Amino acid sequence: METLHNLVFGMGVALSWQNIVYCFIGCVLGTLVGVLPGIGPVATVAMLLPFTFKLGPAPALIMLAGIYYGAQYGGSTTAILVNIPGESSSVVTTIDGYQMARRGRAGPALGIAAIGSFFAGCVATVVVALFAPPLAEVALKFSPVEYFSLMVFGLVAAIVLARGSLIKALAMVCVGLLLGMIGTDVNSGVIRFAFGAPELADGIGFVSLAMAFFGMTDVILNLENPEQKGVFAAAIGRVLPSLEDIRTSAWAILRGTGLGLILGILPGGGALLASFAAYMLEKKVAKPPRHFGEGDIRGVAAPESANNAGAQTSFIPMLTLGIPSNPTMALMIGALMIQGIAPGPQVMTERPDLFWGLIASMWVGNLMLLVLNLPLIGIWVRLLNVPYRLLFPSIYVFCCIGVYTVDTKIFDVYELAALTMLGYLFLKLDCESAPMILGFILGPMMEENLRRALMIAQGDASVFVTRPISASFLIAAVALLIAIAAPSLRAKREEVMTE
Amino acid sequence: MRLRSPKDFWAGLLFIGIAVLFMGFATQYRFGEAQRMGPGYFSIMVGAVLAGLGAIVAIRSLAIDGPPVERFVARPLLVTVAAIVLFGLALDHLGLAAAIAVLVIVSAFAEREVRIGTSVALAALLILFSVAAFVWVLGLPLQVWPEW
Repeated sequence: METLHNLVFGMGVALSWQNIVYCFIGCVLGTLVGVLPGIGPVATVAMLLPFTFKLGPAPALIMLAGIYYGAQYGGSTTAILVNIPGESSSVVTTIDGYQMARRGRAGPALGIAAIGSFFAGCVATVVVALFAPPLAEVALKFSPVEYFSLMVFGLVAAIVLARGSLIKALAMVCVGLLLGMIGTDVNSGVIRFAFGAPELADGIGFVSLAMAFFGMTDVILNLENPEQKGVFAAAIGRVLPSLEDIRTSAWAILRGTGLGLILGILPGGGALLASFAAYMLEKKVAKPPRHFGEGDIRGVAAPESANNAGAQTSFIPMLTLGIPSNPTMALMIGALMIQGIAPGPQVMTERPDLFWGLIASMWVGNLMLLVLNLPLIGIWVRLLNVPYRLLFPSIYVFCCIGVYTVDTKIFDVYELAALTMLGYLFLKLDCESAPMILGFILGPMMEENLRRALMIAQGDASVFVTRPISASFLIAAVALLIAIAAPSLRAKREEVMTE
Repeated sequence: MRLRSPKDFWAGLLFIGIAVLFMGFATQYRFGEAQRMGPGYFSIMVGAVLAGLGAIVAIRSLAIDGPPVERFVARPLLVTVAAIVLFGLALDHLGLAAAIAVLVIVSAFAEREVRIGTSVALAALLILFSVAAFVWVLGLPLQVWPEW
């Protein structure tokens, strides 16, 4: 009952007309930018951050959440219509979605994606409301010892579930941790790693880092390999799926939602893993006749529901533990910090308006996407035809203005230029950016918790293995590493990731 | 000895380089002890781990086959970086409008085919939009025109 009471309280926050407007603007802007080819949700959120600076924490977070959902949905639209996944979590949607579009069924594909997402979003909202508070209460009892071990586990899990080489991902976490240490050390007041630039006393701005690694480098890569893909804009047809379509996909939506809910909570999992797993499951259990790969509507319904459910439950670790499970959540935490709020379990008790308002706005955002996207699909499609020649300078302009307006510091613009070069180098050497940004956000918190833990234990590091909760986190982390290093599992993981 | 996985080899060296750079700086800070970690403690620890991982990546690249480093296309990267830096300089001295114009027109050279007319029109449009959105609506502290 308390949950219901809290949700009603949250609705009160989310449904204030001011917050509805921000949520709406967020959804529109998110979709608008997310539809543009080659811009993923991380870059979208980073680019649109400046729009939230002047708002209070609650409206800012609500608007960012709207942007995130919009960007997710925009990504699915390009996946279906152009065969370009706007982001990794809609990669599987391209398989059957694009085939449906080629067979003149783009409309129903987009429609079922929206309906599946909405259903998944509704369920996920309730799940977040039910499970976040107890988890936050447990987390409130954690001492720095448990916190440190939890962060180690979170980082390990995040890379295990990511793509690519494990060792390189671990190394990238370390790179992120080191970059996070640049600036003034809170304990001693010493300015570390400023490389002679006094401006670096405040550390590297996470907005410039995220934009350089997720926005600018992607654009540069696109400029290196110019290729055009055909847009099936002409034949969208009616957007509403037929009754039969809905009947066929009902189970797929349910299964996708269930999988997404669970996988979204896992660190590093989030939307990406959820959509892959849902598609694989559907291929195995869907009722024949199956036409996967040739435009089966269930091949769109399941992963789209799963990725939306996962996108939403990935807020749970962020809200309750202050630990990002993926780069987008890292951005959300960064946005909270800009607003002067330290993310963590105390947010729920200290800022209930923020906590419950955000949860309620998830549902509002999903509803908005449904009513916004289906009628407006024609406009989004037209955006797909904007030539890259016009697009990329516009992206540059928004990135540069965005970076500058965080602190109104010119130095941040130069920082963006430098980090862009670094990001490009990493990209060319197949080093993933996602683990780096997680390390960057968690770095200062890890150092602080380690310091406090060791101080309490009087320098005895064995405290991490003698405390049961802390020990179980560390054992889980080691087990994950061993499991993934084992040859058989490793082959399986690569198989799933490349498919 | 042959490089079997050039990409990993260079990635490993890059990791080691970053680790050495940070650890070099970190030696200037007080290391402290476990009970009282100084500002250098965690940095040296992480740096050492990174160096170790970098070494593993680099050594493995001599034994295990991997992809070559893709060709390096200088133009888009260099033009982009130059455009951002010029944006900063222009914003500092000439205001937002000039900065956007510089950024848009310079970055057009990242593509092989440059159409100046299109870029100028796009710059004008983006100046109009940015001033309207960021300055008028959002009220962000941006200097639009140069101060005389």
